[in-house]
Amino acid sequence: MKFWFFIAAAICIELAPALHAQVADAGKAPRTPEGKPDLQGIWETRNAASFDVSEIAEGHEIPYLPAALEREQKGPRVDPIIHCMMPGVPRISYMPFPVQILQKTGMVIFMYEYLHDIRMVPTNARPHLEGIDFALGDSVGHWEGDTLVVDVTNLNEKTWLDSARHTHSDELHVVERYTRVGPNRINYEATIEDPKTYSRPWKISMVMHRNTEPGFELRDQECTEADNGRAIHPPYRAAPEGDIFEFVRPYPESGSK
Amino acid sequence: MSSRRLAVTVMLATALAVSALSAFGQATALGKTPDGQPDIEGIWQPRAGGAAYSVLPHAGGFFLGGESKTGIVEGGSLPYQPWAAEEVKRLTEHMELDPTGHCHYEGIPHALYFAFEIVQTPKFIAFLHENMHARRLVYLDGKPHPEGYRAWMGDSRGHWEGNTLVVDVADNNDKSVFDMAGHFHSDALHVVERFKIVDKDTIDYEATFEDPKVFTAPFKMKFQMKKAAKQEEFLESDCFGGERDQEHLVNGLANLKDHYYSK
Repeated sequence: MKFWFFIAAAICIELAPALHAQVADAGKAPRTPEGKPDLQGIWETRNAASFDVSEIAEGHEIPYLPAALEREQKGPRVDPIIHCMMPGVPRISYMPFPVQILQKTGMVIFMYEYLHDIRMVPTNARPHLEGIDFALGDSVGHWEGDTLVVDVTNLNEKTWLDSARHTHSDELHVVERYTRVGPNRINYEATIEDPKTYSRPWKISMVMHRNTEPGFELRDQECTEADNGRAIHPPYRAAPEGDIFEFVRPYPESGSK
Repeated sequence: MSSRRLAVTVMLATALAVSALSAFGQATALGKTPDGQPDIEGIWQPRAGGAAYSVLPHAGGFFLGGESKTGIVEGGSLPYQPWAAEEVKRLTEHMELDPTGHCHYEGIPHALYFAFEIVQTPKFIAFLHENMHARRLVYLDGKPHPEGYRAWMGDSRGHWEGNTLVVDVADNNDKSVFDMAGHFHSDALHVVERFKIVDKDTIDYEATFEDPKVFTAPFKMKFQMKKAAKQEEFLESDCFGGERDQEHLVNGLANLKDHYYSK
C-alpha cells in the first residue's frame, strides 16, 4: 500500500514540472524588470487549512512522534490566535485573508491583511539570525528558476499549525516554495520539518488565487485582547451603521475609581 | 518579550549608525524611482524628541527619556476646547487607559515616532513600521477615502508636490492618541502630512491636524527623520493582550503627570 503511494507520489513529482510548464504557457507567468518571477499582487487561498492543516497535507496525515502527541495532549487547549497571537509560519500562508506581495531588489515583502502582519524576506542568502525566536520566524529566500524558495527558522513553539491543535516545537523548520504558474495562480508548497515533533519531513501544498476584483485594497484587520480576556476584531470591511467602535470597549470606559 | 527588547536594541543601533552617518552628511542629488517619483525608500529614524511621552515640552527622566524643551507641536501648546482640556487632565491621571499599553497600535502621527521602512511602488507607498508591525499603504491614484471605514492608522491618500509627499489621512478612529500624556483626538481627525525630502538622508516632516470636535483651531507638528544605514533590516515586534492589571502597574507611575509641563 505504502509502496504504491510512494510510486504514485514519485510519478506526480516527475510530472509536476511538465504540468506547471503547460499552465505557464497558457498564460505566461510575468517577470519583474530584473527578470525574476513576478509574484506581485493580492492573493488569496480557498481552503480551510487554518482550521485543520491535514486538509492540504500530503496523504492528509501528519507523521507525529508518539512523545509529541503526548506533549500535545497535555499542552494548552486554546488556539493561540484566540489571544491575538500571530499565527506563525506556515499558518499565516493559509489564513483565509488576502496577502499582498511586493518585490524589491533583494527583498520580497509579504503584507498580510490578517493582523496587518508583515514578512520581510531578503533574497540575499544571508545566514539565519542567532539566539532569537519570532512567531513568524526568520525568513531568507532565494530564486530557483520560476520559484521563490523561502527558508524559515527561528520559529517559537507557541504557535499552532491550525485550530485543530496541530502543534510543533521551536525546532520547526519550514521551506516554502512559491511558483507563479499563470497570471492568476501561484502554486504553494511547503516542507515541514521538526525532529522534536514529526518522525519525518512532510509536505503541504495549495493554490493561491489572485484577487482580480477592481479597486480591491488591503485594509487593516486587527485583533486585540480586552481586559475581560475576549478578543476584539473591529469591523474593517462591511461596517455597520453608526459608530462602528461603539461596541469595542477594550479598556475601562472611565477612570479606575 | 525578548524580541521586543532586541527590536529596541536594533533601533538604538540604527540610531547610532544614523548619527555616525549624519556626521558626514552632505547634500547630494535626489534619486528618482523608475517611474519618476522622488525616491523616498529606506529605513527612516525619526528625531521626535520623546514625542511618544508627550508631544508638548516635557521634562526628562528614567521612564520619559530625554527632556524636550520644545516638543513637536508648533508653539508648544494644543488648542483644546475647554472640555477637552479637562479630559486631558483626567487621562494623564489614568495612564491605564493608554491604548498602546493594551497593544493597540498608535495611529498618526504616533506610529512615526519610531523607526519605519518606506517601500515605493508606482501605485502606492508602503509605510512598514517595526513597532507593533503597523502598516500604512498610501495610495497615489487619487481615489477618495473609503466610506464607513475607521482604522487605528486611518486611511491615507497621497500625491507628490515636487520633492514633498503630501498625505491626506482620514477615517481615523477616536481611540488612538498622540502620546502617553493623554493628548487625544476624535474620529473627526483629519491630518495632512508633508514629507519633504531635504536631501537623500533627511526628511522634514510637517503635519497639520484638524479636529473640530476636540480643538478650537488647526495645529501643526514638526520633526525631522534621518535615513538609516542601508544594511539595516527590521525585525518582528509584537504585542498582544493578556495584561489584566495595568491599572495597578501604572499606579507606580502616579506622579508621572508632574513630568509634563502644564500648559
